[in-house]
Amino acid sequence: MKESFNTFVIADPNKCIGCKACEVACSSVHNEENNIGYTVGTMTTPVIPRLYLVKNEKFCAPIQCRHCEDAPCANACPNKAIKQEGDIIYIDENCIGCKTCLMACPIGAIELLPHYKNEEKVIQLGLEEEKLIAYKCDLCKGKETKACIEACPQNALRLVDIKEDKKNKNIKAALGLMNL
Amino acid sequence: MIVNIDKEICTGCRRCASVCPVDAIEGKQGEAQSINEDKCIICGQCVQICSAYSSEFEEETTPIDIKLKERGMLETVKEPLFAAYNVCDVEKVKNSLSNDKLYTVVQCAPAVRVALAEDFGLDLGSLTDKKLAAVLRRMGFDRVYDTNFSADLTIMEEGSELIKRVSENSNLPMFTSCCPAWVKFMEQEYPELLNHLSSCKSPQQMAGAIFKTYGADIDNVDAKDIFSVSVMPCTCKKFECDRDEMNSSGYKDVDVVITTRELGYLIKDMGIDFKYIEEETFDNPLGDYTGAGTLFGTTGGVMEAAIRTGYELITKESIPNIDINSVRGQNGVTKSSIDVGDIKLNVAVVSGLENVRPILEDIKNNKSDLHFIEVMTCPEGCISGGGQPKVILDKYKKMAYDNRKESLYTHDGECGVRKSHENNSIKKLYDEFLGEPLGEKSHHLLHTEYASRKEKC
Repeated sequence: MKESFNTFVIADPNKCIGCKACEVACSSVHNEENNIGYTVGTMTTPVIPRLYLVKNEKFCAPIQCRHCEDAPCANACPNKAIKQEGDIIYIDENCIGCKTCLMACPIGAIELLPHYKNEEKVIQLGLEEEKLIAYKCDLCKGKETKACIEACPQNALRLVDIKEDKKNKNIKAALGLMNL
Repeated sequence: MIVNIDKEICTGCRRCASVCPVDAIEGKQGEAQSINEDKCIICGQCVQICSAYSSEFEEETTPIDIKLKERGMLETVKEPLFAAYNVCDVEKVKNSLSNDKLYTVVQCAPAVRVALAEDFGLDLGSLTDKKLAAVLRRMGFDRVYDTNFSADLTIMEEGSELIKRVSENSNLPMFTSCCPAWVKFMEQEYPELLNHLSSCKSPQQMAGAIFKTYGADIDNVDAKDIFSVSVMPCTCKKFECDRDEMNSSGYKDVDVVITTRELGYLIKDMGIDFKYIEEETFDNPLGDYTGAGTLFGTTGGVMEAAIRTGYELITKESIPNIDINSVRGQNGVTKSSIDVGDIKLNVAVVSGLENVRPILEDIKNNKSDLHFIEVMTCPEGCISGGGQPKVILDKYKKMAYDNRKESLYTHDGECGVRKSHENNSIKKLYDEFLGEPLGEKSHHLLHTEYASRKEKC
């Protein structure tokens, strides 16, 4: 068995105010190849977040990839474009936009959107149509910080260590017994 | 309304309400917000903080091209649209530039030249004064003038006004009146203290009045043909130029104001390569400025510029240390005492409008020993204005403001002349046209009056 589970980011709906700062931050740090600088004026391609604010009358919270241990997206990908590296599951450049992963994902964490390079839409050679690829949270692969967690003004997002989480809950449960 | 919240995009997070210094943003958490126009001071801090954007991939929302039109933005703008925004006036500028009958004149505030480049991918706070002058000329302006020039002029008038008030011991403390959001706030919430505001117009409006009088004379053009454009880091400057009294040249002194961001849109729309454009300088004489004029772009700048000149006018001696670090403020209140000859001047620099309320209450209760107070509405003065390039990630905001500020001080240090009263073009303006500070012509063109707006609130 693996020594540790994949980590993932999760939101606390009681803290989330729905500002979408996480989405904007996510998109900006994933767009280096589109010459994005420090300010909004340099964002010349549409915002392509990898987490999605879900909002209705009662709650709001961003939803993103859980980095499943038996990842249905990876199992389903016919082109082997979904890879595991360390405790992160990411989609690489082999994605052909076949949408299988979208259908397989149980929480809707994957989106199919245009591919931009150097601020322009990438065009598919065969059809002269815009090329669409799958996007999902890669936990800011290669970077030290998680953009969404850092950008959240409410500290509503956190990186989950599921083993630690379980241990803490066990301790709380044990302490609860003392009050019986 | 100049600043608005797009109800379709707003998610009701209320971060805008948390930065609004006058509680003008109304609405329940989780529901679209609205702005109370009578309370709003149009500072645009809500525009700066809003991160609720319109997704181009959501089919149920109004298409981006329609939103661009609603906001007066050019269809070439590619950046994401956020819920809080200011109306955009670039179309008017574009039209004026393509109208051969108009003599187009532009002025540019000091904070613009230390931020504009950021929207072209350059580092935060890059100083691009000469690129800015070049780009404005390339756009087709007949005269590329500068608000820094009229910042120097403001010092001449405001410094003289302060000296007069101190010597007569009347209406003290005196407040600066450069920041239109602060002036609107006073008219709305403290009209009983309006006599404490300097009667000086802001540098933007002084420039507008001079361009269409003295400027028209020296260029031998008819003032009615001059179209006067102003590039500002501020959203409230749009409100200021539309005030009824701002037509002392006989025409509207400043015809249209665009923000730093809007100038960025226009440069991109015209296909001008800002990054690599060859550097040029502003036109003389009305684009000639000193380091002191430059300092207006940051909190404490007006104060420092005023002290440099006030000291020398009062004592007739050269100021011992030109860098007055004690007034270089940050968000909040910076108080200090300055020895000017026999006078001990108690001064305060306020940035972040909410910080001024205790001072105003002290004045109302006769508890203030201050003489001169600079107030800027935005957190660090104009460098963090509502019309400045919008920093994507909050974590870089401090760096952006620090770098912009540092660039202004660098620019001041590099200016050959660093005191407003030593600006030769200003001396010439007084010799040839205005006569003397606080004189009759100055009074007519460069000063104004304020009126209460309290009944509306």
